[in-house]
Amino acid sequence: MIDEELCINCGKCAKECSFGALDFKEKKVRYQGGCVACGRCMSFCPTSAIMVNDVPNIFPHHPWFTERDRRAIAAQARSGGVLLSSCGTDLPYRSIYDDLLLDAAQVTNPSIDPLREPIETRTYLGRRSGKLCIEKRGKKYELVSGDGAIVSMDMPIMIGHISLGSVSYNTQKALFTAAEHLNIVAGSGEGGLHPDFFNFAHRINSEVASGRFGVTPEYLKRVAAVEIKIGQGAKPGHGGHLPGEKVTEMISQTRMIPEGTDALSPYPHHDIYSIEDLQQLISVLKEATDYQMPVGVKVAAVHNIGAIASGIVRAGADFMTIDGFRGGTGSAPRVIRDHAGIPIEVAIATVDQKLTEEGLRNKVTLCASGSVRSSADMIKIIALGADVASVCTAAMVAMGCRVCQHCHMGICAWGIATQKVELASRLDPKIAAMSVVNLFRAWNEELREVLGAMGIDSVESLVGNRDRLRYVGPNPKMAEVMDVKHVGEGWG
Amino acid sequence: MASRPPGMERQPGGCGIAGCIDVRGGKISGDTIAKMITTMGERENGLGAGYVGYGIFPDRRDEYCLQFLFDNEDAKTRTEEFLKDNVYITGDERVYTRKVSTLDPPYPLVWRFFAIAKEKLDWPRGPIFDPDDRIVELAMQINTEVDGAFCVSSGKDMAVFKGCGYSHEIAEFFDISRYEGSMWLSHSRFPTNSPGWWAGAHPISILDWSVCHNGEITSYGVNKKLVEMEGYKCSLLTDTEVIIYIWDMLVRRHGLPIPTAAFAMAPWYYPLIEGMDEKSKKLATWLRIVYKEAFLNGPFSILVGRREPETTMIAMADRKKLRPLIAGTSEKKDVIFAASEECAIRAVDTKAWTWTADAGSPVIAQRGKGLIRSGLEHPFKGVME
Ligand code: SF4
Ligand code: SF4
Repeated sequence: MIDEELCINCGKCAKECSFGALDFKEKKVRYQGGCVACGRCMSFCPTSAIMVNDVPNIFPHHPWFTERDRRAIAAQARSGGVLLSSCGTDLPYRSIYDDLLLDAAQVTNPSIDPLREPIETRTYLGRRSGKLCIEKRGKKYELVSGDGAIVSMDMPIMIGHISLGSVSYNTQKALFTAAEHLNIVAGSGEGGLHPDFFNFAHRINSEVASGRFGVTPEYLKRVAAVEIKIGQGAKPGHGGHLPGEKVTEMISQTRMIPEGTDALSPYPHHDIYSIEDLQQLISVLKEATDYQMPVGVKVAAVHNIGAIASGIVRAGADFMTIDGFRGGTGSAPRVIRDHAGIPIEVAIATVDQKLTEEGLRNKVTLCASGSVRSSADMIKIIALGADVASVCTAAMVAMGCRVCQHCHMGICAWGIATQKVELASRLDPKIAAMSVVNLFRAWNEELREVLGAMGIDSVESLVGNRDRLRYVGPNPKMAEVMDVKHVGEGWG
Repeated sequence: MASRPPGMERQPGGCGIAGCIDVRGGKISGDTIAKMITTMGERENGLGAGYVGYGIFPDRRDEYCLQFLFDNEDAKTRTEEFLKDNVYITGDERVYTRKVSTLDPPYPLVWRFFAIAKEKLDWPRGPIFDPDDRIVELAMQINTEVDGAFCVSSGKDMAVFKGCGYSHEIAEFFDISRYEGSMWLSHSRFPTNSPGWWAGAHPISILDWSVCHNGEITSYGVNKKLVEMEGYKCSLLTDTEVIIYIWDMLVRRHGLPIPTAAFAMAPWYYPLIEGMDEKSKKLATWLRIVYKEAFLNGPFSILVGRREPETTMIAMADRKKLRPLIAGTSEKKDVIFAASEECAIRAVDTKAWTWTADAGSPVIAQRGKGLIRSGLEHPFKGVME
């Protein structure tokens, strides 16, 4: 909606709109449909003349065949194809995070003041032996075995896998810079590492996906950790998909594929058809990296995730990322994004329980990803059982993303999910990096506040401490499955 | 009494603790410890107290003493049958108890069996060959499966005497003055709820380990997972029970020297670790990584007793020192004391020399060796340095 009185007809909005929704002809701006509500025009209008409103419903109201359904039907009737979308699902599934409340210390144990007392948030990523062997050598003892390859991070936050290709060079540079500043780890995403980013390698968790794009031993030896991607929460059972429009010269070089071709990773790894095969790939990667770095496995949260996770630890994974069904994506079939997988809250709680039952939980670092929106979500997922919260969408939002769900089109108006030079240059990597740094610093401070209130002075004592959570939702079965007590239930 | 009241899970609250050990081989009468603990009257409210004596069965030094609380004769019979199948019973007797006018009945039946472990224990999870592991498994099995029976201690040449009442009432009930031991630990409680559960009182003991604990562990959920992974069954659901399993696991099963195990439970902060010498830094870092679930967060002070390889008392507080703990020695340095308050030590030895240890740093006294650590040293003194 443009306020004719305020508009000075400068044409900025139309220039900023990369989705072609605005037309500027004869010194007049006209809306011509196709707005994705990315909000870019509003931010750039010098007179605040333009407003993006909910587009009025052109379909007669119907509670069952919603407008969303009817739009989808129309689109498929036109194209006969699979509907693509991006970001996490926008269907209004109930949030379990919001049904959980945190505990605080009162009287019988003191709370800790984070302004006056140290509260530690250092977190390690990698395998733990579960047992240190200290032997007497002569008069003194020596640590004989039990240590291993591990990466230290200043906070229990990791930036998830956002590949160069799905996002611009500047975006990835901003993310890596932020990881460096924060002393945390960032995912490379599929497709290897651009040579310019080799100086960030010691902060990179390198993804080895089914396409194996850009994976070479030289590169693997430089990074902090290696992660085999089996699945992704937004599209469990599905491979990667980078549309040809995004495969520019730069992408073609890092991924080692021809320019302009769709980069389609196979659905499964074609050398992994079983847990034994996974074990072999883990061993190969460990060999290739001289056992100097942790090798992890990333899987989507699916129904049988407990048993799958236990298999993955037994196969030798040093860390494991579970990606919940709300997890984001640069491009995925909508039917899968919206309807497959399970919520991360339940997945983490059940995996933590299962691994504990099997005596494996202290052998592995458990990372949770899939739409952690706030420090509260992060704290809750840690209390449910995760060592680390892996975050993507929130980091992108910090940089300017409006979650318009149109990344797959490659014309992101904010210069994030695009390869078009004129759009990509809209993002200043320095400013974007600082925004991410600020966000995670703030979250970590909030984590400290909460830990202090709980009377805990180091984050590891919150991991899987489900005792400190209570369920307030409508479904007690949910609480039972997650092994969380209902509100009102005390300790004794 | 022996069985856990329905719905009861954890018992938070404050407490008093006191302990003493004769490091030169002499004996200390039960009266001494009773005097120490009862002096700190403000730290208890009559809802639980207890004692553990070491070196009290000199004639049966090498037999396990399984001391039980039973709700009734039937529970005893069932326990006895279970024991007969799994250990060689070498003797048994009723533990002397008497009526205390201020203590309301019903009283539990207190019984002890002396036993030798069988060569191996065939267990659903596979045979167990280590005799100590067999006893641990049996005690946990009885406590979780046999209704109305509770094994309160299972070590050699030691026993636990505890119940629901004030510390002076429990001392009177068991006539604690009839025993003489080389080491005594004791505990009095100020719980915020009143379960009236005798077996739930402290000290908590498994094998030759016993723990008296004042505090509330905020990391309980995490610590519990660790010990369950190691096969311990949490039948008491108190943080104290978890602490004792962690000691047993780290020291007996994983073979860590005591100061190292203590460091895992109350580690230094990372910036301090950075300042250590290289070897200590490596050990400290890996203790924090590998045993992060053993870290006891929140306020506590504990007294830990152990008999193997030699009777030892360990006293330590959390790494912020949020609960009180004071140590002392007699003038001749033959008796080492530790307690929540100085008055407990002064009550039995007016000339004792007392000090407070560093936060998270264990005071260790051992029979034959004397005071091994005063709690003011580097965490790895005697281990790495
Ligand atoms: S940017 Fe604002 S002022 Fe300029 S043409 Fe668009 S609506 Fe009018
Ligand atoms: S990255 Fe860009 S295209 Fe993707 S959701 Fe965010 S604003 Fe939209």
